Amino acid sequence: MAEKKTKKESTSKKDTKKQAAPAAKAAEASKAPTVSSKEARVGVYICHCGTNIAGSVDIPAVQEYAKTLPNVAWVDNYQYMCSTPGQKKIEENIKEHNLTGIVVAACSPRLHEPTFRTATKEGGLNPFRFEMANIREQGSWVHMHDREGATDKAKDAIRIAVAKAALLQDLVPKAVPVEKAALVVGAGVAGMQAALDLANAGIKTYLVEKNPTIGGRMSQLDKTFPTLDCSQCILTPKMVDVGRAENIELMTYAEIAEVEGYIGNFDVTIRRKPRGVLTPVEAEAKGIVGGGCNGCGDCEAVCPVIKPNPFEMDMKPRKAIYIYHPQVVPLIYTVDFDSCIKCGLCVTACGEKKAIDLEAKDEFVKVKVGTAILALGYDMFPIEKKDEWGYQKYDNVVNSLEFERLICASGPTGGHLVRPSDGVTPKKVAFLLCAGSRDNTGIGKPYCSRFCCMYSLKHAHQIIEKIPGCQPYLFYMDIRSFGKMYEEFYYRIQDEGAKFMRGRVANILEDPVTKNLTVVAEDTLLNRPINLEVDMVVLAAAVQPSSDTDRTRKLFGVSCSQDGWLLEAHPKLNPCGTTTAGVFLAGVCQGPKDIPDTVASAEGAASAASIPIHKGEVELEPYFAQCIEEKCAGCGMCVNLCPYQALALVEKEGRKVMQVTEAKCKGCGTCGGFCPGGAIWMQHFATPQIVAQIDAFLLGGAK
Amino acid sequence: MVRTKGYPEALEKKLADTRLYEDEKNPDFTKAVEKISMTIPHMCFQCGTCTASCPSAPRSSYRIRKFVRRALLGLENEALTDPDLWLCTTCYSCTDRCPRDIAPTDVIMAMRNLAFKRDIVPVNFLKTVQAIYTTGHGVPNNDVNRAARKKLGLPADPPTTHGFPKYVKGIQHILDYYELKKNADRIVKEREG
Repeated sequence: MAEKKTKKESTSKKDTKKQAAPAAKAAEASKAPTVSSKEARVGVYICHCGTNIAGSVDIPAVQEYAKTLPNVAWVDNYQYMCSTPGQKKIEENIKEHNLTGIVVAACSPRLHEPTFRTATKEGGLNPFRFEMANIREQGSWVHMHDREGATDKAKDAIRIAVAKAALLQDLVPKAVPVEKAALVVGAGVAGMQAALDLANAGIKTYLVEKNPTIGGRMSQLDKTFPTLDCSQCILTPKMVDVGRAENIELMTYAEIAEVEGYIGNFDVTIRRKPRGVLTPVEAEAKGIVGGGCNGCGDCEAVCPVIKPNPFEMDMKPRKAIYIYHPQVVPLIYTVDFDSCIKCGLCVTACGEKKAIDLEAKDEFVKVKVGTAILALGYDMFPIEKKDEWGYQKYDNVVNSLEFERLICASGPTGGHLVRPSDGVTPKKVAFLLCAGSRDNTGIGKPYCSRFCCMYSLKHAHQIIEKIPGCQPYLFYMDIRSFGKMYEEFYYRIQDEGAKFMRGRVANILEDPVTKNLTVVAEDTLLNRPINLEVDMVVLAAAVQPSSDTDRTRKLFGVSCSQDGWLLEAHPKLNPCGTTTAGVFLAGVCQGPKDIPDTVASAEGAASAASIPIHKGEVELEPYFAQCIEEKCAGCGMCVNLCPYQALALVEKEGRKVMQVTEAKCKGCGTCGGFCPGGAIWMQHFATPQIVAQIDAFLLGGAK
Repeated sequence: MVRTKGYPEALEKKLADTRLYEDEKNPDFTKAVEKISMTIPHMCFQCGTCTASCPSAPRSSYRIRKFVRRALLGLENEALTDPDLWLCTTCYSCTDRCPRDIAPTDVIMAMRNLAFKRDIVPVNFLKTVQAIYTTGHGVPNNDVNRAARKKLGLPADPPTTHGFPKYVKGIQHILDYYELKKNADRIVKEREG
C-alpha cells in the first residue's frame, strides 16, 4: 500500500522495477539479482516419488522429451526430489548451469511448493522463479492403469510448466505487522480453553459468546465419560479463570456483526445484544457508585413473566429477567426483551444498585485483532424429523441432552430421573444409538456423531447407579469406543448389567393409556425380531453445526463441507487452520468431537493463532493484482467486483486510477480477468504467462 | 443314510458343513440384482431396521436382512432357492426406513424375477398369473363379495375388467408378450401333472 508501483516511472524495459514489469511484457527476467543472461534457462526435475509416479509414468521418456523443450537448459530426475539430496540438485544446478527458472514435476504444489521454493532460493534465485508440474495427484494417481496416457499427460504438464517458468519474474513477499490481540468466537469448552491459552501466552484475547453465560454444551452435562467426573466440577474452575483472566475481555450475549481486514489486521465489529442489566463496571462508568448487578436475584423474584429455560432444554421455568443456572459466568442477569412486559417491578426491586435498564439497545464494539479462532459448537439434530421414533409425539421419548438435564443434580428434577408423562421413575430405559447419524436417507446425517456411543454407555451407568433395578437397553449398530480408556469403559458398563442389543430401531409405538413405549427392532445377532416394552426412550440424536455457524463463517470467509461443518485447511496436517489466513477452528464446529478431542483441538488452534502474533509480522504471498496506471481508465468497475474489498479508486495526477491494498488482495484474479482495458496485472499469474501456458498446451503436442 | 432312529434328516442337517465358501459367491448375481432392482444392496451395513420394520418377519421365517446380505455377497443359489423369498408382502416399510437408502423390497422383487427365470416359483404365484389372465384380477370377484357390494349400494361388479370384460383381451396380450402365462402353465403342469 505504501509502495504503490507507478507505471509512469518505468519508461523502458530495462529500468522496470520488479513490480512494474507488466509493461515489459515480462518476456525476459527483469532484474533477477543473480541472473546475468536475459535468456531464460529452465531446469526441469522429474520426481519418481518412489513408485507413486515412476510406477505409472515412463520417467526416462519424459526426461528425454523435456530436453527437447524450448528454454530447457538442464533436465534431471530423482527418486525423491523433496529429500535433501533432491533439493541439493536444484541448489547446485542453478549455479552450475546458470538457470533462471526451475520446474519440478512431482506432487501437488499444496504439498511441496514451499520446499522447492526454498531450494530455489538457496540456489540463489528468487523463490518465485519456481513452477511445479503436478504429475502425481493429477497424473500417475488418476491414470494408474494407463502408463502411456499418464506419460503423455506428464509431458504436457511439464511443457506447460516450462512455458510459464521461462516467463517468471522475481517477486518479493510483503510483510505486514500483526496486531497483538486475538479473537475467540464461542465460549464453550473449546473457546474457553483457546482463550485461556492465548491469554496465558500474553496475548490480549476477546472472547465473544452469544449466550448470557460462558460454558457452552459441556456445562449442560451431568458427568463425563469415561472417568465420570462431574462436568460442572471440572468446567467451573475454567469458567472462573476465564472471568478473571486479565488478558481476556469477555463479551457475553454478543455476536460478530462484521469482519474486515486480513491476517494480522482484522477489524471486527461485535454486536452486544441489549442485556438490560449493567455490570458493576458499566454502572460505575455511568456514575452509579457501588451499583450494577451483583447477582442477588431480587429482580428475578418479582418478575411476573415465566418462560422456559433453554439451558434446561425448556424443562424448567425462568423469568423474563434471568440467569441460566447458579454457576454462570459472568454472574449478571439478563433481560429477555422478547418476553419482558416492562412492568418495572425488577427496577424497583433492584433499588439503589440501579443495575437494570429496560431501554437498553444494541451496542456495537470495534476491536482490532491479529488472528481469530472460531469455536462455534453444535446443536442437536431435530430428531423429530425421523418421525418413526416419535420424539415430541410421545411424552416419554427424550433426546440425550434432555436426559443429561433430567439426571443432573442441578437439573429440573434435582437429579431424579422421571418419566415426563407421569413423573414416575422408569424401570426399563431404551437408548437408541445412531439416532439420525449414519443416515443416508437425506433426512438424517450421513456422518457418525462420534460421542453418542460413549455418552450412552455413561447414561446406562448413571441409571444403574441411581435407580436400583432399572435396566438399560442399548440398541446399537456398532459401539465405537475408540478413545483412551473407552473400550475399558464399555467393558465396565456391560459388566454392570447394561444390555446391548445389536439392531437399529425400526419404530416406536406408544401405549396411549400407560404411555409406555414399545421399541420395535431386530436382534441382528439372533436374527429375531423383538418388541420390547420400556418406560422411557432416550434418543442419542445426531449433532449438527450450531444455528449461527453459517452466518458467522461467512463473515470470516471460512468454507464448510457439504454437511455444514467448517472446513479445515488440511484434514490431517492442518486440522485447526482454514483457507482464510489467520482464522482457525477449535472444537466441534470443525466436526463432531468429544471433550478431550475438543480441548486438544482448542489448544492446537490457540497455538496456531499465537504464532503470527508472536512473530509480529506475516508474509503474504505476492500474488497481488497491480494496476497499470497508464492503461487504467478509472472506471471503477473492478472495485465492486473484488470479493475482498482490496481495491479503491484514488486521485493521481488529476485523474482517477485504481489502487490495490496488497495485504487485502488474495490474488483471485477476478479484477484482472474482468478489466476491460487490460490494466490489471496479476503477479505470478500474468496474462503473458498464462497465454504462454495455453499456447504450450494447444500448440505443443506430447507425441 | 439312516444313522439315527427318529430324526435322520435333522441330524444330517445338524452335521452339515455350513461354512461359507468362496465358490458360492457369484459377483454377477449382485450386479444382476442391482440392475433389475435399481437399488444398492452392496451398501447394506446390517443394522436390522428392515427386518424390524417387516410385518412378515414376526410371523414367519422370512428375514429381509438376510436376503440383502445374500445379494451383497452374491449368494445366488442360497437366495433363489430359499422359499422365504416369496414371503415378502411388498409393503415397502423397510424401504421407507433403511438408513442406507436401499430399497430392500426391490431387491426381493429382482430376486423373484431371477428365480422365475430358473422356474423357481411357488405354484400359488403361478395360479395368480392364470387368474389374472382369465379375469384381469389376481383375486377375482366372488359371490360373497358381490353380495357385500350390493349391500353397500355398489354395482355387483367393480368398473374393472369385471365390469368391462372386453378389456381382458388387452391384459392377455401383455401377458402373452412376456410369455408369462405360457411359462406359468408349463410349470404348473410339470408340478401338478
